[in-house]
Amino acid sequence: MRAYDYLSLLQGATVTVSLSLVGIFLGVPLGLSLALIRWAGVPVFSRAIAVYVSVLRATPLVTFTLLIFFALPNVGVPIDPVPAAIVALAMNTSAFNCEIWRAALADFPRTQLDAATAAGMTPGLAFRRIVFPQIWRVSLPGLVNEMTLLIKSSPAIAVTGIVDITRAAVRIGAQTYEPLPPFLVATALYFLVILGFVRAQRLIETHMERKFGFA
Amino acid sequence: MTREFAIVWAHKDRLLDGFANTVWLCVLATVIALAVASPITMALMAQNRPMRTLARGLVDGMRCIPFLLLAYIIYYGLPTLGIRFNNWTAGLCALVVYNACYIAEILRGAWASLPREHIDAGHAFGFSGWRLYRRIILPPILMACVPVMGNQMIQIIKDSAFLTIIAVPELTHEASAIQSMYYVPFAAFISAVLLYWVLCRIVEMLVGLIERRAEKRR
Amino acid sequence: MTGVSRRWHKTLGIITVVAAVTAVVLQIMAGPAKAAPLDEIKKRGSLIVATEDDFRPFEFVQDGKPTGFDNELLAMLRKAAPFQINQEIIPWTGLLAGVTTGKYDVALTAVLITKERSLSLDFTMPIADATHYYVKRKNDGSIKEIKDLNGKVLGIQAGSGLLQRLPELEAMLAKTGGKIAKVVEYTSYPEAYQDLALGRTDFVINTVINLQALVDEKSNVFALGQAVSGPSFPAWAVKKDNAELLAFLNGFLAEKRKDGTMAALQKKWFGKSFDDLPTTFTPVF
Repeated sequence: MRAYDYLSLLQGATVTVSLSLVGIFLGVPLGLSLALIRWAGVPVFSRAIAVYVSVLRATPLVTFTLLIFFALPNVGVPIDPVPAAIVALAMNTSAFNCEIWRAALADFPRTQLDAATAAGMTPGLAFRRIVFPQIWRVSLPGLVNEMTLLIKSSPAIAVTGIVDITRAAVRIGAQTYEPLPPFLVATALYFLVILGFVRAQRLIETHMERKFGFA
Repeated sequence: MTREFAIVWAHKDRLLDGFANTVWLCVLATVIALAVASPITMALMAQNRPMRTLARGLVDGMRCIPFLLLAYIIYYGLPTLGIRFNNWTAGLCALVVYNACYIAEILRGAWASLPREHIDAGHAFGFSGWRLYRRIILPPILMACVPVMGNQMIQIIKDSAFLTIIAVPELTHEASAIQSMYYVPFAAFISAVLLYWVLCRIVEMLVGLIERRAEKRR
Repeated sequence: MTGVSRRWHKTLGIITVVAAVTAVVLQIMAGPAKAAPLDEIKKRGSLIVATEDDFRPFEFVQDGKPTGFDNELLAMLRKAAPFQINQEIIPWTGLLAGVTTGKYDVALTAVLITKERSLSLDFTMPIADATHYYVKRKNDGSIKEIKDLNGKVLGIQAGSGLLQRLPELEAMLAKTGGKIAKVVEYTSYPEAYQDLALGRTDFVINTVINLQALVDEKSNVFALGQAVSGPSFPAWAVKKDNAELLAFLNGFLAEKRKDGTMAALQKKWFGKSFDDLPTTFTPVF
């Protein structure tokens, strides 16, 4: 493997990490919005979201990315490779995040909500001041776990032609006919990225344990 | 749009072949992974320190790499070391190795939370080693793990879709082949998504069934 | 649920529905506008072409830069066109579907002209002569001629014209009472060649141009076989009934033929020039 090949793998790593982060930053709030709608029991949308979550949690990311990238233009929604990858990642992780947030919301004591209303708080204020600060702490371990899973399934975006770590490794292997070295380097790169996330997860859990008495 | 679905329907045999392949691959992978996971779990709980560290390293390592890379290494990388599987076997191998580590971790968690009394009673009656594991430890662990195993099987089903990239003729691969020949991407992939959903629902229902029966027995 | 908290929940729900819908809409960022006839392109100011990412020697990526026969022609087209050209490098499996649905204006790659494709695509004049051949491992002594392909495993690209015209080879084999054992479909050719080298497949079918380039590059691994089809020509493809765009592209290609650039490029990338290519080709298959 030449120096240029290593460079292309590192470039692939930046693509992987940046697209995964965008997917996470869009997917977490989206998951929260979906969870809130279900929690509030909004008539039609609650059912729709239940179906959305069920389907997206059952669909492999590869198939879903193929659907978004190739099929959307088919029905009149033109989409480029990078936006397609981001949409696929964000929608996929939002379904899992929705369930995580929902679990935290379901456990939330109704008494606090009633007290907030009795004190004259608007729903928005109550959410911001009472509900959210508590549920994000409870949900955090699950959310970070889901982030790790997202990065581990991110090679799926290579089917759109995006040159992430996987595609960069495949290209090098296709040229040199020696696929093992680039794949081993690619595995090492993913390992480092995921290890970083797992370490961060452990750190957050210990910090929460210490500061708030639960993890 | 109806024309598109009509084309996919005309080639439904191919799509259903892919579906059957996916089901067969995943069922086989789950069963074999479960079998492979047991010794790994035993190693994780072993008294022997080096074995425990080795098993720990394997399990943690496997949980830090993407499934597709493992599949690529087994499929394209191993041949340079002389081991050459065809794509189906390589895919199965990757699914088994990858998920066995996850399952081993799940089983280990269940084992660690097993009441000490059962094991002591087993020792008192003269069970030890493999017999102890098979008769006393494994059954309650498996029963407790059924819902988590259900989740793992769903994970296996989703990982199997990655194997389209090494040309295993599973569901996603067949859907992709149909759409690239007849230009029907929406119909083809929506059909595939639907089939995956049905498959996962079936797994969830089976898990629910087993759980109810386990409750009755308890 | 008490009346108070129900109303509370409802308001909260409505707020979040609006927020979520906005988020989703923003997420589907506008891609390129739908492909269109020439005047619209001129008005829009840009043409969207799609090329494959690894189809040597027609187009491939070397050190991060797209290069190859089609990419060099694209560079010349950029200079000749009165509008900007945006290039999308994507995997083959979605390329033609993208042209038929208008996502891309032109498939600027080696699209083999087949009868089935002519139903939804229009083709420019051919850019090369591309009879289908097979390639085998050099050390595979069991395959010397077509009839030896009986009972062998074939590797080929999914959704390719080569796959569409496979019946021609099957007919040839049937004459000697043989048939192909199995057909393995790959997303792209590099993977097919790798598997051939590893022994998972016994032969791979591609155009003589692609295979010649492969055999030249890896002469110790592969050897070229015989032709497995009648005449076949690759060309650029546009969506059907887009006559003006087609005329524009044909004009460009005709000019390159006349001034000898086409022949020079063909010699550079294919090893020889094809001087009497037809200007139109009605496929039999």
